[in-house]
Amino acid sequence: MKNIIRALRAERGWSQAALADQLGVSRQSINAIETGKYDPSLPLAFAIARLFEKSIEEIFDDQTEAQLAAE
Amino acid sequence: MTQHTFKSAKRRYFRAFWPLMALYVIIVLAGSFGLNQLDPEPKWLQATLAIACAVPVIATLLVMLRYVSETDEYTRLVQLKGFAWGGVITVSGIFIVGFLQLFHVIENFEVFWFGPAFFIAYGLSTFLLGGRDCL
Repeated sequence: MKNIIRALRAERGWSQAALADQLGVSRQSINAIETGKYDPSLPLAFAIARLFEKSIEEIFDDQTEAQLAAE
Repeated sequence: MTQHTFKSAKRRYFRAFWPLMALYVIIVLAGSFGLNQLDPEPKWLQATLAIACAVPVIATLLVMLRYVSETDEYTRLVQLKGFAWGGVITVSGIFIVGFLQLFHVIENFEVFWFGPAFFIAYGLSTFLLGGRDCL
């Protein structure tokens, strides 16, 4: 799933490790989510949204490449 | 999310892991030394020491399972995939060696080595799937 976590993190000047610490997860988790290798659970997605003061939909885009191409 | 963070889960894991490994080394060394002093070794003592050597390893496996349940969701996924791959590789090895023995291609093979083989297969799989942080 595509997301804008890397951009939001860069805006705040946070490293992956700093964001991971705030969420109580590993740095690898943040890296996997940012690169789209791993989709977070709903509770973690809510925690990320709360931290960046945005809605889940503003951060995560559930449209696949095929759906985007079809539009 | 669990109440444990990734870091606190990892701390709890290593706080149990290293003493268990130290205990394992002590029991194996003391057991081997003790048995060498006794001639002939009583069977019951051999059996007791053999089982005692396995206890810290079994405890370590349980500590690993606790870590899997307490860590963050991504690390849990990588750990479980590592366990699964470790199991698949080890059980495959057991079947291959087992059939080689049944068909008299090889002679006796120490079953003990499948234990370390599982830990190596699990560790390598976890590293390849999630990197150093997930170990």
